[in-house]
Order: sequence, then structure tokens, then C-alpha cells
Amino acid sequence: MTRASVRRFLIALATASTLCLLLSDTGAAATAGPRPTTHRVVIDSLRFDPQLLTVKAGDTIVWVNHDPFPHTVTAEGKSFDSHEIAPGQSWKYTARKAGEFAYACMLHPTMKATLRVE
Amino acid sequence: MRMIGVVIATSLCLTTAAAAAEGPNDAQIAAIVVTANQVDIDAGRLAASRSHTKEVKEFAKRMIVDHTGVNKSAVELVTKLKVTPQDNPTSQSLKSGGDQNLRNLKGLGGAAFDKAYVDHEVAYHEQVLDAMDNVLIPGAKNQELKALLVKVRPAFVAHLEHAKRIQAPLAGKS
Repeated sequence: MTRASVRRFLIALATASTLCLLLSDTGAAATAGPRPTTHRVVIDSLRFDPQLLTVKAGDTIVWVNHDPFPHTVTAEGKSFDSHEIAPGQSWKYTARKAGEFAYACMLHPTMKATLRVE
Repeated sequence: MRMIGVVIATSLCLTTAAAAAEGPNDAQIAAIVVTANQVDIDAGRLAASRSHTKEVKEFAKRMIVDHTGVNKSAVELVTKLKVTPQDNPTSQSLKSGGDQNLRNLKGLGGAAFDKAYVDHEVAYHEQVLDAMDNVLIPGAKNQELKALLVKVRPAFVAHLEHAKRIQAPLAGKS
């Protein structure tokens, strides 16, 4: 084997083992638990629906604004805050931390709901 | 100020009673909805530029944004339904009441302005809710028009609560 072909062989070996590692990693992640899911909360007539949503840590929640004016999704203590969601638009949040989060619309404080992360 | 509230109340009640007897048609209801929103947008614009109180300016901005949104939906719907809003005694009295309110507010400043604007907003939202519940929602023939009124009603309730919340601290200031 020439020096150059040895080098090519080593590079190929290194690439193959890295790929194997990557593949086994994704394999492990896929079997570690249920896949994160996406939940939907509809904002309509100044109401969050559902009023109480329970999700698993890692899940994503999408708030969709069906009203003709903006709303916000703002947790007490601001652990999450959408800022203004325009009419017809949505806002996505991935819940990482377990707990019960009361939230409200800052523009219409009578609008309240709860997100429970398990 | 109180007198203005009474004027709005009386004109709305009178026209409400008249409309209930005959029943406004959908084209008239459309004109009432658009005028009611526009009147409040105009008052909000004046307050947003003239008031120096944070809470009053924020409330005024909310009125402009929300009522503009409601009117956009209303105009989109009537355009889709090919209904042309038709002027009627209720929409006319809303308009003249709105103009009178603006004339009164333009003569005021400072705490007196804030109080007059917010007092009027409380009276106005109470009267519009009354008209929605007794005339507009029960009277709307087209189901989409009725649905739109039902959908936006909670906004008027939230605005009334908001106005009342900022009204109390202003009461002793002028």
C-alpha cells in the first residue's frame, strides 16, 4: 500500500465509524420514549380552547389566533411570552420544563388559561 | 359628562325600541356594526394623541386595534354576502352621538379629558352590548352575520371591564 492509499483507507474508516455512531445515536433516541407531539390551542372569541392543556415535556404547542385582532400568550412570570399574535397567525412553543403554567393575554387580561407540562 | 351618557343612552334606547318593533334588516345591522366600531376608533384616536396617562393611552390603542379588526371582518363579510350597509336611525344616532362626544372631548384637557373619555367609553360599551343582545344578534337573519356578532361580543365585554378598571382611579382626579 502506498502512503496515499493508506491515508484514503484511514479517512474512509473514520467516516464509516462516525456514520455508525451517528446512526446508532438516532436509533437510541427513537427508542428512548414516546415521540414529542404537537398540540393546538385555538384562540377564538377572547377564549383559549382548551382552557387546560396537559402535555409531556418536549411537546410543542401551537396557539392559533382566530380573532380579528391580536392576542398574546403570556405566562405568569413570563417563562414564555408570544408577544402579539396577529389575526390568523399562530405561535409555537416547545415546553421543556415540567410544571403548571397559568397564562393570559396581556392585551385582554380577562383571557386566562393553563398549560400543564408533565 | 353624565348628560352625554344620558343622551347616548336615550338615543340608543329610543332607536333600539323603534328597531325592535320593526326589526332592522341585515343591511341596517351591518351599518350599525360598522358605525359603532368607527365611532369608537375615532374617539380612541383622539384619546391616544391627547391623553398623557399611560393606562388611558393603552386603552385607547386597544380600542383602535380591536374595533378596526372587527370592522375589517364585518366589511369582508358584507362584501362576500353582497350586502350594502344601509343607514338607519340607530346608525345615525350612533354617528351623531360619536360626533358630539368628539366635540366635547376636544374642549377638554388633562385629567378632565381622561375622565370624560373613559366615562363615555363605559356608557358606550354598555349601550352597544345592550343593542347587540336585544336587537342586533336576535335580529340578524343571515347566519354568518349573526355568528360574527356572537363572535365579537366578548370583545365588547372585555373592553367594558377594561374601561371600568381604569375609570375608578380617574374618578377623583378632575
